[in-house]
Amino acid sequence: MSVHICGIRHHGPGSARALSAALAALQPDCLLIEGPPDAQAIAPLMMEATMQPPVALLIYLPDAPHRAVYYPFTDFSPEWQALRYGFSREIPTRFFDLPQSIQFACAPAETAQQTAAMPATPVHPSPDPFALLAEAAGFPDHEAWWELQIEQRQDTTEVFTAVHEAMQALRAGAPPPQGNEALREASMRQHIRAAMSENFQTIAVVCGAWHTPALQLEDAATPSAKADAALLKGLPRVTVTATWIPWTNSRLALRSGYGAGITSPGWYAHLWQAPDRVTIRWMARVAQVLRAEGLDASAANVIEAVRLAEALAALRGLPMPGLTEMHEATQTVLCRGEETPMRLIRTRIEIGEALGAVPPATPAVPLLRDLTAQQRRLRLEMTAEIKTLDLDQRKVIDLTRSYLLHRLRILQIEWGKPYQAAKSAQGTFHEIWQLQWQVEFAVAIIEANVWGNTVEAAATAYARHLASTTRTLPQLTALLHQVMLAALPTALDDVLAQVQDQAAVAADVRHLMLALPPLTEAARYTDVRQTKSALLLPVISALFERVLIGLLPACQSLDDDAAATMTESIAAVQTSLLRLEDPQFTAAWQGILARVIDDEGIHGLVRGVCCRLLLEAGILTSVELERHARHALSSATPATQAAAWIEGVLRGNGEVVLAQDGLWQALDTWVCDLSADHFVGALPLLRRAFAQFDASVRQRMGTKVKHLSTAGTAPPLPGTASDHVPIDVARADLTLPILARLLGVSQ
Amino acid sequence: MPKPAPGGGASAEDQTLDAILRQHAEVQYAEELDVLLKNDTHPRPPNWVLSPWAVKRYLLGGKLANGFEIAPKYIGNERLIEIAVATLATDRALLLYGLPGTAKSWTSEHLAAAITGDSTLLIQGTAGTDESAIRYGWNYARLLVDGPSPAALVVSPMMRAMQDGKLARIEELTRIPAEVQDTLITILSEKTLPVPELGLETQARKGFNVIATANNRDKGVNELSSALMRRFNTVILPLPATIDEEIDIVDRRVASLGQALALPAEKPALEEIRRVVTIFRELRDGMTVDGKTKLKSPTGTLSTAEAISVMNSGLAMAGYYGDGVLRASDLAAGLTGAIVKDPVQDRVVWLEYLQTVVKDREGWKDLYRACHEVL
Repeated sequence: MSVHICGIRHHGPGSARALSAALAALQPDCLLIEGPPDAQAIAPLMMEATMQPPVALLIYLPDAPHRAVYYPFTDFSPEWQALRYGFSREIPTRFFDLPQSIQFACAPAETAQQTAAMPATPVHPSPDPFALLAEAAGFPDHEAWWELQIEQRQDTTEVFTAVHEAMQALRAGAPPPQGNEALREASMRQHIRAAMSENFQTIAVVCGAWHTPALQLEDAATPSAKADAALLKGLPRVTVTATWIPWTNSRLALRSGYGAGITSPGWYAHLWQAPDRVTIRWMARVAQVLRAEGLDASAANVIEAVRLAEALAALRGLPMPGLTEMHEATQTVLCRGEETPMRLIRTRIEIGEALGAVPPATPAVPLLRDLTAQQRRLRLEMTAEIKTLDLDQRKVIDLTRSYLLHRLRILQIEWGKPYQAAKSAQGTFHEIWQLQWQVEFAVAIIEANVWGNTVEAAATAYARHLASTTRTLPQLTALLHQVMLAALPTALDDVLAQVQDQAAVAADVRHLMLALPPLTEAARYTDVRQTKSALLLPVISALFERVLIGLLPACQSLDDDAAATMTESIAAVQTSLLRLEDPQFTAAWQGILARVIDDEGIHGLVRGVCCRLLLEAGILTSVELERHARHALSSATPATQAAAWIEGVLRGNGEVVLAQDGLWQALDTWVCDLSADHFVGALPLLRRAFAQFDASVRQRMGTKVKHLSTAGTAPPLPGTASDHVPIDVARADLTLPILARLLGVSQ
Repeated sequence: MPKPAPGGGASAEDQTLDAILRQHAEVQYAEELDVLLKNDTHPRPPNWVLSPWAVKRYLLGGKLANGFEIAPKYIGNERLIEIAVATLATDRALLLYGLPGTAKSWTSEHLAAAITGDSTLLIQGTAGTDESAIRYGWNYARLLVDGPSPAALVVSPMMRAMQDGKLARIEELTRIPAEVQDTLITILSEKTLPVPELGLETQARKGFNVIATANNRDKGVNELSSALMRRFNTVILPLPATIDEEIDIVDRRVASLGQALALPAEKPALEEIRRVVTIFRELRDGMTVDGKTKLKSPTGTLSTAEAISVMNSGLAMAGYYGDGVLRASDLAAGLTGAIVKDPVQDRVVWLEYLQTVVKDREGWKDLYRACHEVL
């Protein structure tokens, strides 16, 4: 009977290769693998054809799914290869770590702090043993050392003996394990002893390299079976649930599950898959990615990149180029020293986007459980029938429902679709939703589980991810609005920071302007939903300041289409300011608009719209409007520009302009003076400008212009105030007492 | 007329050290190179004087095993020097690319000095550089008397480098007209230089290579064709990595230039230098130093050299029109001029920066007011 201990590094392709070779040579009849025994029952699911790494074992508390640990596996994880070996040969294959049911129970305080974004991790020994070894070998970076010594090694014999000896030397100098680690190692030893008592002939043990010395049962320093049993006796337990979930390569790069995250899963996958000529195959793949993006990458340059990588390795005294050398050679030769294309290489190859898949038989994910629990509590039915829901946000239950629906929407699970708030007659307290549950949501939930185990945690993590990948400002502020509606305070900080960053570098002022309405909309809702508007106001004011600086240059030399979109942006700012009701902002905005209408270089439509806004705000007097009208409608202005100006001024309510005699006089003179050609040219624009008014307003406008032509002698039109009408003060005074009574004010 | 072959002749030794304004690197650091050579045990590529390890040590400085101190020539990322040396070791041409004032020519000179002991095979790239500067020219007097012969040939630094297996250096490659740049393509790939008039060719000896420098801000001057670009390994030399490094550089240069120009002003307070360098770095990086706020970057380079010139013009203002002490108002015009290169875009950038950063920064009120006055 023999016990063989194989010390590996989690996610190490070299370790995986060495392990596969060792297992093939040993032909064990029992396999013990470092991993949670809680997942023993679902472990065989990994043999299903639909199981595709990267995947993760997820162990969580069913009543508190945010407390969870992940054990990610990918193809080149040694544990994954060991499991595969064990299950395919149908030998007993067991996880032999301390069960998570005990680890959760023993360390509640520690794990309670872990959120889904940073999953709880089994404690990694500190200080990092590999860092010590690497330092001893003169390497600044222990990843580089391990990669060189173990992962890149093609000849794998004796690796485990060497690793074992190194760890023994390290641990001889380290204090004996404490707390959780002592318990884990005791549990591992007990499992080995149990396997031995079952009379297996060859037992292979796969565990993290650090643990190897502690598992040498024949070693005198190793605690006895009796001591271990005493240590493990009477430990508290909680109920845990285990399942498989799909994982991604970029999340392998995080420190999660096994404690040691790997920064470049793509590179390790390459080391695992490439049968030979690792450097050449890697560079060829890099070149393919660059070519697919339309960047030059000739075969000759691939050759040179390989040569440079090898020369760098030689200069640094390495037997073969590592990822650093590959990265530098790629940048120097293939990317002409530029940083930007390297980002492509980083995400596409060095990390290598990949999403795993789990078989349908996998137990329900915690996110679904959390959703089901909330759905029951909030009495929302999951039916395929379309239902309308009116939520009164002053009620706690309705507000919570609204949060849930908004959070699901962030996760792209559109269970509820919001109706436009404007359509609800009951004001801002009400939110109308249309609910319909769809079958596809089940899959969407499993996928969304990558982001977190509760709806709130997953929505938070996903919103933060979106915030870090979205680049255009209007999208970001829309996301910000969503996040505020979904009440995700942690994500809110990230999104706000991103909005500020993007606002600072936004080259297009229109983006800044369009970004304002969702922000002010969110700020308006804050009172109803009890979120903090204090967070939003600095962002709004920063955006607004930039709009003020950038508006004038942005309005220069616009063509007709650009002018039309610019007026939309101006309207967006105007709406936002009306919502905010901040006198300082409004004054600054009107100041800028006043400069726009004076600037001859700006498109007539934009200036017309700005005139209109100022007129409505009471900033522009009738006299000034007349002056502007005379300038804009003079014969020196091209007819199309003049017509565009009129279109801008007339936009909106007809009553406001009806009263402006000066405007009509200028318009009248201009139209009369137009040559036949110009008149025909301007006609479509003018028709469009007037088409928005209904017949009665147009009629009154017509009448007005008719009377204008009989200059001044005509009586003022009923219903339109004129500056020249003399008021009989004595007679007007007579109405005051009645008016006072009607309005309920004392005289 | 070409000057007599440098390095080989006796003329260099005849010149007294004092009379020369600036010595070649291999002369100035002769002792260091000598010590490195004696202690160099690593293998050398053919025709290299020092091994790649020793070249790296020469450039980056440090203490040798025998306690001899090597002065650092390049202060910055060690890996960039490794890439440069490894490139030359694989007989690929090296292109040092970067903003003005990032020590490209300096690095190139020292690389040549360390690798071949000769940094003088230099082609200075200008808009007027013609093919004869890269290939060969003719001594016309000889040509008329004797007809075409090797004696009438005027050998270019490139041709000499090929003959001797040394490094040729090309400065400001992008300023050389595109059709002249093209002559490099075959030299770099075939490593031969035919002289059809004489029916001869020069085949490069082992050790021959080319180091070129170019400025990536003045793109479009004569942008390198992709055929030529493909023959170079490109290393981009960055601007100073930390603010303290940059302040240090500005401080030293301002002090030495101030002396040379005999400006009647006091040496500026370190605090003023820090402000100017901070503004330059923040605008250049598009982010405030604390990393909290992102900013737009102006169109200009905003190199360390420009920061030095802003300080100097500020000193001149203070000296001739002010009270001799450098104040914010003396700097404002220079700062605005250095930053606002494009009257529309840069003005927006500078205004935004003033409004969002300078205005609220503790103790910067004077600068804010001064800059607003000149805008």
